[in-house]
Amino acid sequence: MTLLYGVPLFWIVLTSFKGSDEVFGPAFSFSPTLDAYRDMIGPQLWSSLQQSVAIAVGTTAFVLLIAVPAAYAVARVSGWVSMIGLGLLIVFQMSPQTANVIPLFQIFGEWRMLDSTAGVIVADTALLTPFAVMLLRPFFRAVPPQLEEAAAIDGAGVMRIFATVVLPIARNGVFTVGTLVFLLSWGEFLYAVNFYLSPGQYPLSALLAQQVSAFGINWPGLMALSVLTSIPILIVYLLAYGQLRDGLAAGSVK
Amino acid sequence: MTTATTTPPARRPGPGQARKRRRRLSPHAPFALPAVVVLGLFSLYPLIQLLRMSVSDVSTSNLGQDWAFVGLQNYLDGFASGATGDALARTAIFVLAVTILGMIGGFAAAAALRTKGWWSSVLLSLMVFAWALPPVVNGSVWKFLLASDGLANSIVTGLGFSERPFLYDQYWALGSVAVVNAWAVIPFNTLVFRAALLQIDREQFEAAALDGASRWQEVRHIMLPAVRPTSLVLLILTVVYGFRSFDFIYVMTYGGPGTATNTLPFLGYLQAFTRYDYGLGASTSVLAVAMVLLLAVVYARSIRREETRG
Repeated sequence: MTLLYGVPLFWIVLTSFKGSDEVFGPAFSFSPTLDAYRDMIGPQLWSSLQQSVAIAVGTTAFVLLIAVPAAYAVARVSGWVSMIGLGLLIVFQMSPQTANVIPLFQIFGEWRMLDSTAGVIVADTALLTPFAVMLLRPFFRAVPPQLEEAAAIDGAGVMRIFATVVLPIARNGVFTVGTLVFLLSWGEFLYAVNFYLSPGQYPLSALLAQQVSAFGINWPGLMALSVLTSIPILIVYLLAYGQLRDGLAAGSVK
Repeated sequence: MTTATTTPPARRPGPGQARKRRRRLSPHAPFALPAVVVLGLFSLYPLIQLLRMSVSDVSTSNLGQDWAFVGLQNYLDGFASGATGDALARTAIFVLAVTILGMIGGFAAAAALRTKGWWSSVLLSLMVFAWALPPVVNGSVWKFLLASDGLANSIVTGLGFSERPFLYDQYWALGSVAVVNAWAVIPFNTLVFRAALLQIDREQFEAAALDGASRWQEVRHIMLPAVRPTSLVLLILTVVYGFRSFDFIYVMTYGGPGTATNTLPFLGYLQAFTRYDYGLGASTSVLAVAMVLLLAVVYARSIRREETRG
């Protein structure tokens, strides 16, 4: 098990320090070089990095902004309206992304949202919001309604109860979901590849997808790009691991 | 959560109480409004549009204009060419492989990592990190490892076998991509199974050890019953994960060699974006969404059951 997960990760890093003539040579006896990184680091990389940051941060903020209150509503409102809402959320969450990209491409074309970062952010938000609401819902359900009733008796309005009573209790859930949405939108590439009309605008994930499907792959370069793409993930992961480990299991099957 | 111990847990209220609560808590509904607007415009409307495209003749030239209604022609074309049928069969094999490997692998890893040693926490964090990496990164490295002179083949030839065409043969390719997908979902399944296993009372294991239970008996009589309640939901999630998977296929084989790794969702994508037959691609995607509807019903019912159980 350790090998199965350790070796691929180790191999990415190892290969990124190889010269292109040594890729398939002996695994460990090679002269380490930074050539692959030197090839990759350039204006394109910086602009892609900026795009990735804009998309991931924008999507995370947007998703949290609409999914957190929605999850609270879905957890509290009962009856057939919320049943239909939940059913739709599940269908959206489960639909293949390849089925969304076809109509969205046409709709964005009509609404002049192609080739814009805002378009990709909106598409990613629509893609990840159902998942975020479903994951957040159990956290809001775990807030005892009696607490809210007590606050209501004290004269607090719905908004204030939400902000001061409910949200602090569901904080862990919000944090877990925010982290996941960031990770997922950082790695999303299908929308980026299809909605940006020129590779110059691609975020890192799309750049990587484009290079790996190109003819005659430059493996050390690709692995260097993989490492550079993964560094922000590593940082977020180190900050959020404990929360992620516990929150994910709690939220996703309940 | 000290309050939770002093107040009764939020169970399903009785009928009279429910009516009262609904009226009183209806101010919660507006909280959903922003999400309703965004999802209505960018999730629901696209689905409707997809349905419309699937019964129309849509290509690049008339994508932004009026489409000619062709009825079920796209669907019929898809089946008549054999592409849809083949993709359905491949999808079934693919999903079956991902699900079986993902569920068994996840449970095995969770059972092995249940103990609190430093090695198991290192391994768990390594697995979750691999899971958190973008699929393009994981797909790239697996494409590299499975290349004709990559690491996997060095091991195979080192063991005295002949080289295997992991990604370059129509049968091997589907299997390879399915295995990599299972590899990618196992960490998540491990986390979920592990959470269920951690709920088990330590005394149960001690009692079993006193009775001289074997490791297998422990698994069978203590661990399996403990994970059963979450298993159905996780099973559906894993099936859905395998079904909607396209990123590893995109990166590792792009549907090839030939059409060997065209699963239903990926076939729809290729038809729309490399053949520019949006109508045909939409019809294939509608079939994929229809299959999802089926799974969604099962899923909704099983989470409801989980929640009413408390």
